Amino acid sequence: MTIDDLLNQIQPRLGLEAETEHEVLEEIRGHLEEAVAAAKARGLDEPQALLEAAAAFGVEQATAELHATHAGRGTLEGVAAAALPVIFTLVLRWLIFAPDGTAGAWREMLSQPALIVIAAVVMLVPLLRFPRRRYAIALWIFFWGLSLITAVWPTVRW
Amino acid sequence: MEKLDQMRKGTTTLAILKLLVDTGEPMHGYQIAHALESRSRGSFQFKEGLIYPRLHQMEREGLLRSEWEGQRGSRRRKVYLPTAEGQQRLTEELKQWQAFSLSMEQLLGLAG
Repeated sequence: MTIDDLLNQIQPRLGLEAETEHEVLEEIRGHLEEAVAAAKARGLDEPQALLEAAAAFGVEQATAELHATHAGRGTLEGVAAAALPVIFTLVLRWLIFAPDGTAGAWREMLSQPALIVIAAVVMLVPLLRFPRRRYAIALWIFFWGLSLITAVWPTVRW
Repeated sequence: MEKLDQMRKGTTTLAILKLLVDTGEPMHGYQIAHALESRSRGSFQFKEGLIYPRLHQMEREGLLRSEWEGQRGSRRRKVYLPTAEGQQRLTEELKQWQAFSLSMEQLLGLAG
């Protein structure tokens, strides 16, 4: 048995989202490497060292608690990371565009300090707050893309 | 059993914070698990893997922050550091612990 074999046994027990699972497995790998190296330094051979490391780690109990700690969190963070930019984009859109849906005054609005502050906060919050910032970035690009289309073609009604 | 689990979780949080603040260096999970066992002279024993759910929970609560040391593809270790909030929590919990310990000693007639 190798560390990879052991990690392959642990992986399905974790039952986590891919990104969280990858990080947790990386951390467990590091732990097992340290434990195996320490056991080998005490004179054990590789298979014995790994068996000792696995027993000391407590695979069953640890994976159950890791699952309980992380399960569903990634989804929640993903939803929050997705929802916040949408809400903020709607606020910005409401500030920039006229109530009738046209973007006639968008150039003037972009120079307003309040808008710049809001936009900066809106950009930074999802990036700083959420580990899954790729969702936030992707949604930002998507919604700002939509807004730019309305700015480039101000007569388009939304 | 559930009560014991809760006690372990509560005391582990305090012990981890104290260790990291005293050490003043970022530490990874393996180091933390072994340092706790060593500091308690073997009386604080638990399955090493149980340190990770606790560390992750503490990070989520803002008591710790973590960073990866080493490059992808080579030996990487996730190390933990106490945050300012963690240090504040430690100060508060140590005070509570000392007060509780003193009152128990008095109650049990152990105080000199």
